[in-house]
Amino acid sequence: MAQLNKSLRIVFVLVVAIGASLPAWASNIDLSTVPKRDSVQLTIYNSEDITLVRETRVVTFKKGINPLEFSWANTLIDPSSVDLKFVTSADKLEVEDTTFPHDKSQMLYWNVKSNFDGEATIQISYFTSGITWSADYTAIANTNETKLDLDGFVRVTNNSGEEYENAHVRLVVGTINLVEKIAELAKIPIGEVKQLNKEELGEFRRMAGRQAMDRVAIGGAMSPTSAPSEKEIFKEGLSEYFIYAIEGTETIPNGWSKRMRSFKGDGVPIKIQYRYRPQEYGDQLVRLYLTTNNKESELGTTPLPDGVVRVFRDNGRDGLSYLTQQSIKYVPIGERIELNLGSDPNVVFELTKQRASRDHVWMQVHGTNTFKEVGGDADVSEPNMSVVGWDDHGIYRQEIRNDTAKLIDVEIRRTFGGHVVFRSELNPKLHDYQTVEFTTQVAPGARKNLRYELVQHQGHNAKQNNVTLETAAVK
Amino acid sequence: MRCAPTFRARPFVYLLTAVIALLAIDANSTWARVKLITLPVRERVEIQLDNPNATLVEEERVVPLVKGENQVDFSWANTQIDPNTIVFRVVGPAGNAAIDVKVLSVSYPPNESALVWAVGASDSGSARVRISYLLGNLTKSFNYRAVASHDEKTLVLSEYMRLANLANEDFSHTGLWAGFGPHFHKPIGLNETKELLVEKYQSVPIEKTYTCNPAEFDYIDRAQNKLRVPMHYVLKNDAAHQLGKAALPYGKVRIFIEGAGENALSSTAFLGEDWGKFTPKDGEMRLYVGVAQDIVVKRTIEKNQSKRVAGNLFNYDVVVKYEIENFKREPVTLDIAENLRHIRSEIRGETGREVDWELKGDTTFEGGPDAERSNAEKIVFHAKLPAADAHGKAQKITHKLHLTIKNEW
Repeated sequence: MAQLNKSLRIVFVLVVAIGASLPAWASNIDLSTVPKRDSVQLTIYNSEDITLVRETRVVTFKKGINPLEFSWANTLIDPSSVDLKFVTSADKLEVEDTTFPHDKSQMLYWNVKSNFDGEATIQISYFTSGITWSADYTAIANTNETKLDLDGFVRVTNNSGEEYENAHVRLVVGTINLVEKIAELAKIPIGEVKQLNKEELGEFRRMAGRQAMDRVAIGGAMSPTSAPSEKEIFKEGLSEYFIYAIEGTETIPNGWSKRMRSFKGDGVPIKIQYRYRPQEYGDQLVRLYLTTNNKESELGTTPLPDGVVRVFRDNGRDGLSYLTQQSIKYVPIGERIELNLGSDPNVVFELTKQRASRDHVWMQVHGTNTFKEVGGDADVSEPNMSVVGWDDHGIYRQEIRNDTAKLIDVEIRRTFGGHVVFRSELNPKLHDYQTVEFTTQVAPGARKNLRYELVQHQGHNAKQNNVTLETAAVK
Repeated sequence: MRCAPTFRARPFVYLLTAVIALLAIDANSTWARVKLITLPVRERVEIQLDNPNATLVEEERVVPLVKGENQVDFSWANTQIDPNTIVFRVVGPAGNAAIDVKVLSVSYPPNESALVWAVGASDSGSARVRISYLLGNLTKSFNYRAVASHDEKTLVLSEYMRLANLANEDFSHTGLWAGFGPHFHKPIGLNETKELLVEKYQSVPIEKTYTCNPAEFDYIDRAQNKLRVPMHYVLKNDAAHQLGKAALPYGKVRIFIEGAGENALSSTAFLGEDWGKFTPKDGEMRLYVGVAQDIVVKRTIEKNQSKRVAGNLFNYDVVVKYEIENFKREPVTLDIAENLRHIRSEIRGETGREVDWELKGDTTFEGGPDAERSNAEKIVFHAKLPAADAHGKAQKITHKLHLTIKNEW
């Protein structure tokens, strides 16, 4: 049976010692109180193993020096990131100093100077490792493959060693820069963190903390509705990032993960295209679903973070067919979404080299810089010559057979190295200096043979490293 | 909330709903849970076998729900369910009452093959849900049984799907679909293998071919220059040949032939077997049945003469001679295929360059090369061979292939 591990590893202690400072609570007999967490907010980044935790507690201060102890045994908190702020009575409270004891690596003490007797709300923030989130998607095409129901999900996993109950959860989409891994920092004492790195890291953390603070109210402000419904995930752009704020609060026990829907795209229009692009998809013709992450496509509310898409199709028999799964990279709003479904057994794609020949053979007379062309001034009477240049001709037939019930669009890209002439009546274009692209359509049940000739200038004949397109009938 | 541990130990897929859950914390601060659990049974199971690399299981269950939030626990043990592929869909209310049911979230417990859906219901009642997932070790393969008529003009092709259930899960009454053919309803027990007839094609015309190709099939007697001549049955997967309903999947084909006379079926003999490659519609499946020893082909390179063009550049004049005898009592057509790279390597060695060749006019094969089956590196001819006479004496047919292999250095 899975058990909810309720052991609290992060402990915040107010040491009760009148007029005390460090020497006083270092005595053998202490009295302490344990203020509980009032709220906690998690801001989780998916590009790095880092989570900003902000928690608030209410502490009763006495006038004078108040020692506070904060410890985090068996968790993955970066000690250099722990920060204390006063949410209320900030003008009457001040952190005098922070001490990391030499004998306890996962603990620190604050001496807080108070100018009054009474309660104040404090905020402790820190970075922890072990809380991660990821995105994934489920796509179900209709039977005719004209539309797609595309659902996005976020999955939060807590392996931090701590349970954050009723936490406001915020997920950051984007790639941040860290100079050190939080998990590594969590395992070394504060004294060993290099000063320079700490300063750099601290600046980033202060900035990230402020950004997170600015939006703390989004999740908490939502009130539960009477009818059960999915939690809404609010999306908002922030600098180079995008923030998902999960409605209300979440409790994810240590070791568990939780998956929630981040968006729902019903009836997303799709186009089907067949592509041959060996550099991207390998040596095969693949079928793709194409759509765009915009409002016209019933999407466009959020960029799509990196994640796995699992693609199904309504098989028209009151069930699903599993098509494929693939990882997609971050898709900004407005960008194309391309789902590669792999090869289609109902479309035959075969390239045949029908003819090979050589011409324009050039020879060099041994020991000289004299070049002669075969068929011109080079003849059998001169044996002391060697071939140094020639043109290879190849005539190809690209056969496409469409055994599906629909007209298909096919795009073909082929890359040729060296000095090449691509001769055809296929109306091709150059995708780049050495890649030829041409397209065609094949009716259902039909076969198409696309023919082209390739002239490859070899040896001495090669003057360039590119492809030239020529329009001519292929014999 | 999770179910009692006794359910975990069984090698089955379980769906539980926690209708009432009372939570308490004991003295050790661990969660103690007192729950009432219902066990919704499978109402319907479909196994989708249309993906060549994965098996999708879809099961439908009626789940009782109370108004508000419900925990639906799905767990499995000793089965290879990919938890990331699980799709939970609410098909609709199971009764007349219309209730709105939504999946709120999914939770994954640590170190367990399980997940928990939080499902919200607008009212108490039952909902019909469908759970789909990819299941490992439930695999399919295809095989064929072909029975040729005695005259080898047609055959009966039976296509079977063999389903092996090593998934450690029992499917008592299950829909099965291969992506084509009929929709089956069969039970598949634990560790059971089930073979199902997907299609039976009657009177499929077959083309019986004899082919020699030294590069592919080599010599049967190199000392005497006798080529190996395999015999193939060729099936065309189209409607004109009584096929063409769907692509023919890869699988072993066992080939039998009917005997003669009234006891044709009882005297059926095994001819041979071959792996049938994946054959799309309009494609050809060539099945190697065995070696035809009654057709004798002696191949010799009769002429190999190099001619300098200039410097180190040469052309080669090559004549390949075939002396063919058909000792069968019926006329046959022999396919003679030559690989041009193979010929070049025989006469001058391999260069790595394409072969620039030209067929000369005095090549004797009637009709010239088969344009459909020939390409830049392979040339195919057909030779018609008369039957042997009543005494078994074969007429010797001689053909010549005359080539120029050009621009070699």
